[in-house]
Amino acid sequence: MAIIECRDICKSFGEKVALDHVSVDIPEGGIFGLLGPNGAGKTTLIRIINRITIPNSGEVLFRGKPITQKDVERIGYMPEERGLYRKMKVGEQAMYLAQLKGMSAGAARAALKEWFVRFGIEDWWGKKVEELSKGMAQKLQFITTVVHKPSLMILDEPFSGFDPVNADIIRKEILRLKEEGATIILSTHNMESVEELCDEIALINKSKLVITGAVDSIRREYGNNNIEIEYTDADGRHTEVISRDKAGNEVLKTFIDKGVTINSYKELMPRMNDIFIKLVTGEEAGEK
Amino acid sequence: MSFKRTGIVLSHEYLLRVKKKSFLITTFVVPILFAALCILPSLLMLNSKEKCQKVAVVDYSGIVMPYFENGSTAEFTDCSSEDPAVLKDELASRGFDVLLIVSQIDSAKSVSLQTYSKKPTGIDFNDGLRNRANKAVEAYRIGCYGIAGLDQIMKDVKANVKLNEFTLDESGNAQVSESGIYMVISMVLGMAIYMFIALFGAMVMSSVIEEKSSRVVEVLVSSVKATELMFGKIIGIALVALTQFLLWIILTVVLLAAAGAIFGFGGDLASTAQMADMAKGMGGVDVAAMAQNSEMSVIFTTLAHVPWGTLIISFFIYFVLGYLLYASMYAAVGSAVENEADSQQLQLPITIPLMIGFFMVMFAFKNPDSPAVFWGSMIPFTSPIVMLARIPYGVPAWELVLSIALLFGTFLVLAWASAKIYKAGILMFGKKSNWGDLFRWLKQK
Repeated sequence: MAIIECRDICKSFGEKVALDHVSVDIPEGGIFGLLGPNGAGKTTLIRIINRITIPNSGEVLFRGKPITQKDVERIGYMPEERGLYRKMKVGEQAMYLAQLKGMSAGAARAALKEWFVRFGIEDWWGKKVEELSKGMAQKLQFITTVVHKPSLMILDEPFSGFDPVNADIIRKEILRLKEEGATIILSTHNMESVEELCDEIALINKSKLVITGAVDSIRREYGNNNIEIEYTDADGRHTEVISRDKAGNEVLKTFIDKGVTINSYKELMPRMNDIFIKLVTGEEAGEK
Repeated sequence: MSFKRTGIVLSHEYLLRVKKKSFLITTFVVPILFAALCILPSLLMLNSKEKCQKVAVVDYSGIVMPYFENGSTAEFTDCSSEDPAVLKDELASRGFDVLLIVSQIDSAKSVSLQTYSKKPTGIDFNDGLRNRANKAVEAYRIGCYGIAGLDQIMKDVKANVKLNEFTLDESGNAQVSESGIYMVISMVLGMAIYMFIALFGAMVMSSVIEEKSSRVVEVLVSSVKATELMFGKIIGIALVALTQFLLWIILTVVLLAAAGAIFGFGGDLASTAQMADMAKGMGGVDVAAMAQNSEMSVIFTTLAHVPWGTLIISFFIYFVLGYLLYASMYAAVGSAVENEADSQQLQLPITIPLMIGFFMVMFAFKNPDSPAVFWGSMIPFTSPIVMLARIPYGVPAWELVLSIALLFGTFLVLAWASAKIYKAGILMFGKKSNWGDLFRWLKQK
């Protein structure tokens, strides 16, 4: 069952159309990648799901029912433009944001302490945010996003601003939250992390939904069915890419018949990066 | 709107400010500073002995010197027989500070004065010299008429008319009053409310700008509705202001009570003489003359009859409504910009009516019932300020009710409009917004 269903959403700001009849289903559990070039309308869609922005037409369903402000308490949102009160103390700030998400003061304090211990930052509680480095502030931002145990997390470019070590910590936390049954919407330009983390994606370009579905099936769909075979014969090692117009066994058979030693055989899957570029620039070319 | 979420924002905004050091400082130090500021100049004036100037006088006229009396600020020595040029050279060595040369009586029956000194002598000192020389010249001229007893006649002719002012209360009883007191109260109230509306309104604006420029606002509005955030903030800061006022009132009452206990003035006329005695004993300063003069007692009776209760209640009502009106406009403007420097131009429609109200106070405290002031106290944007300046003089009830109703109605309309602008504005980044943008957001669904 889908946790979020976006039904035929349209939104324009004056003359500018931000979303043009976009329908996306985000299944419960798992990581959903929301992709698209800058200015495609991703942030607007995220804001509509969060009820920050009201669409001109169309609706958002949360577990099958029109989304309410109460449901929004079940969402954790980390916007791309990170923001914290610079002059406030870390603990006070985290408490405030947690309480705004409906937590009681006691529950918020307990949950926050737990997260601070997990990230090894217990001694930050009394520090002011402006004393933190960018990476430290990002960690705090992540905690404030997830502290109320949301069923749905919307993370906009979650890895930007982190060094590789901290990015890995966040990546592991995201996977752990997924294990615990949460749904995560990941909006990112980093296609490697899409391949690695996402189960399903939706690609938005120029206010329109271009494609949505499981990552594997999309990659297969956009592959040109090539096979890479590596073999060894009398001259040494060779790599050959052949189009798969025959069944795999037949291809192998022709090589075996040649009397060479086959080292590897693999289906060539296109990179998400290439699919992204193809879909985005292909459209542009098509319109011109 | 959810009261729970608005309440969380409200208490956050309130506690954030009340816990600040600057709040405690302004709340507790300002009244003390203010009191010190009131007392200090008079203490300085009464206590500080000016350095006594030693003056060598060369009087060629022969009439002025007798009018120079030695006092605490100057000591005069008649050196008329000496050569001024020599005196000039020996001024310091002979212990003089100033050489004063009085010319001979000229054809216009006047004299001129010249002073020589190392340091400028000061305005008060110079005025003193001139006053005395004037007196000498006047006496000389009167003497020239040769009318017997003219000196005495002139003294008898001198007039000093006193004005005793009474206001009639509802039962027709005459009450000693003093317009000056009402003027001061009217002006102080008008200026105070102007200042506080501008101060706390601007506080709302900078808080909105801070949330927008730090981008924390997007996280906030993913948890609370924009309108909840805006009104939570506005009301939270209103409570900060009210807390401050309340503490100021309590502090003032406590200070006054303490002062009353120490100095023993109960506003009672009979005690004025006693008070003067006490003051005399205390500072060794002669204020008895001042207190015997009934002006002091009039001031005290007037102060005692100022409707303080009504004034304080109306101050609270007009402050709250005026603040709400302006704070919602400030919030709308704050939502449109990313730093305070950019807000200048958008702020104009807020600051101009505020300034007009402020200038009307200057007029209102002299003419509380003129038509311009009447309209100023009805039109919502200036009414909180102008009406307050009128209240010490007494305002008919219907005027108060109408003015408050108009103010409240305007607030409701503006709050609605501001909330719409705010909702759209806080998520607009990058571009510098202008009035056109604000109107577009207002029309936006």
